[in-house]
Amino acid sequence: MNDQQQRTLSSILDAIIPPSDDGRFPGAGALGLVAHIAAAIERAPELGLTIEPGLAAAEELARADRGRAFAELSGAQRQSVLQALDAAQPGFLPTLTFHAYAGYYQHPRVIEALGMEPRPPHPHGYAMEPNDLSLLDLVRRRATLYRAG
Amino acid sequence: MSDDVVDVLIIGAGASGAAVAWSLADTRMNVLCLEQGDWMNPMAYPGTRLDWEMAQFGDFAFSPNVRKRRDDYPVNDADSPIAASMFNAVGGSTILYAAHFPRFRPGDFRTRTLDGVADDWPLDYRTLEPWYDVNARMMGVSGLAGDPAYPPKEVPLPPVALGKLGETLARGFNRLGWHWWPSDSAIATHDWEGRAACTNAGTCLVGCAQGAKASTDVTYWPVALRHGVKLRTRCRVREITVDANGMADGVVYYDAEGTEHRQGAHVVVVACNGIGTPRLLLNSRSSRFPDGLANRSGQVGRNLMFHPYGMVTGVFDEPLEGHKGPTGCCIMSQEFYETDRARGFVRGYSFEILRGFGPVFTALWGMGAGRLPWGPDHHRAYGELFDRTAGMVAICEDLPDPENRVTLDPALTDADGIPAPKITYRLSDNSKAMLAHAMARGKEVLEASGARATVAEAPLPFAGWHLMGTCRMGTDPETSVVNEWGRSHDVRNLFIVDGSIFVTAAAVNPTNTIQALALYVADRMKQNLANLFD
Repeated sequence: MNDQQQRTLSSILDAIIPPSDDGRFPGAGALGLVAHIAAAIERAPELGLTIEPGLAAAEELARADRGRAFAELSGAQRQSVLQALDAAQPGFLPTLTFHAYAGYYQHPRVIEALGMEPRPPHPHGYAMEPNDLSLLDLVRRRATLYRAG
Repeated sequence: MSDDVVDVLIIGAGASGAAVAWSLADTRMNVLCLEQGDWMNPMAYPGTRLDWEMAQFGDFAFSPNVRKRRDDYPVNDADSPIAASMFNAVGGSTILYAAHFPRFRPGDFRTRTLDGVADDWPLDYRTLEPWYDVNARMMGVSGLAGDPAYPPKEVPLPPVALGKLGETLARGFNRLGWHWWPSDSAIATHDWEGRAACTNAGTCLVGCAQGAKASTDVTYWPVALRHGVKLRTRCRVREITVDANGMADGVVYYDAEGTEHRQGAHVVVVACNGIGTPRLLLNSRSSRFPDGLANRSGQVGRNLMFHPYGMVTGVFDEPLEGHKGPTGCCIMSQEFYETDRARGFVRGYSFEILRGFGPVFTALWGMGAGRLPWGPDHHRAYGELFDRTAGMVAICEDLPDPENRVTLDPALTDADGIPAPKITYRLSDNSKAMLAHAMARGKEVLEASGARATVAEAPLPFAGWHLMGTCRMGTDPETSVVNEWGRSHDVRNLFIVDGSIFVTAAAVNPTNTIQALALYVADRMKQNLANLFD
């Protein structure tokens, strides 16, 4: 992707996942997910056949409707352009959203904002409370539930 | 060419091949196993990385068609609403399985007698019971004795952590007066036979880096190898060959470089799963067996059973800590297991309670369910889902149908040019009615547990985890492929030990029964060594 495409993509990512009002969660573009999407395209080049025309279409719509680059639009204007884009190119936004969600919710900063430690599950795993097996008292009182062979 | 003739050649190092190898090791026979996959490196499993959830869309996907590892073979599943799932490595599909480890129930072996459907097995629960016990110790099964849904059984380790999620659902089952019980799980809840205890990391479905989950590369294989069994990896068998008397005399296989080899054997044991086994037999054609080896009955590949799955996900108001704990093992219910014809179907299903979604799967599930918008409302909607979902699946008994089958694809091949399998499968009306019932009851129990919303999906298109029935056992050579102890009717030194010899599917995960059956077949081989081919 060239610089222009990357700017457009970053702005679209910020429109898909904007920063949260309380500041806990960053926008997906500001988090740097352009690199995540670029890496996904590198692994699966056919993805580029959906993403790159979508970026071009977003710019065309922005300039046609608003006379400005997508990145220069307000938040509401970006939403409006993306809704129009979703109707014009139905595959683009779901595909990009899938990859944006995947990249966003595995990012250490987001995991930490969710209240979890930003680390892989292994090796430390998670502590859990002992089981309350008194919950089984009702079931234990039931008669045999299986049929003999 | 490798022409040293071995006493026993096992094809496949997964759940059943490993169990047979371990059992036969004490005979001191020359036992060799050929496996098309390689040893896995648990320290490289995705659970050691932050991006572990997405591995299920890549090289740890359930479907070999998605993974496309060199060790995989493709499966044409275009003519099936359920895609076949398997893994090729030392450990086979136990590398990725959930390790939910129930036994079949006694009645599961007698569906013809009890309910007038399918066929009775040529053996019964009592026959397999001692082998379930051996398997429980070898795999390290955790659970709790006293379940009224089963005869008394040995459970060596205490149950997995139910967690807030499991106990929330347990209360829901109690409110409805429905059966539930902590799941039998092939997961070490204490240190067990050199394996470290489960840490509740929740990454079971992409390989257990801890080694707590009982994949056979960390259970049977280390012992079998110490006892002298040989295991040769990256060896993909093309066909089993026969001698002038119609007895199996070895195999032709390709090594990792694609070089063709021949391996001779006095006994051949096939352990390639319910799709790989019929594929191999159908690929093993000769003038004596023009329709495939051991296929005079025409039953090789027929009666494919999957277990149609349905899933219901509940959304709760309170955090459930659902990212903690074994992914597929928590509690289970067999309230609707036995036949009640008033429900509109025969036989029944189990419920298995899963955990919640991790951060990425919360987002992707929310997107798929139409519950997670992009844009300004995203964070509010995500906050209502994250750590607030609980999943449960219904696993439905799939009755055998000869039209549901594995054949050879006329064009598709693996990397070595060996014809690939094609599956043809339809959901029966019985399965559809069962799934509908299960989804309604699943919603009911989730609501009784406090869910404010539920989402159901059935059948699950990716859930062809259980591959059964395609070389079924029986006493009649006209209608079955192997006899009551796994020996081919047609080729008396050929044995099959995987899920393909199941007569019926029951409504529980099959691996425990696959292994108990493999141990039973191996024991019968040992008991009959003097006249094995009579």
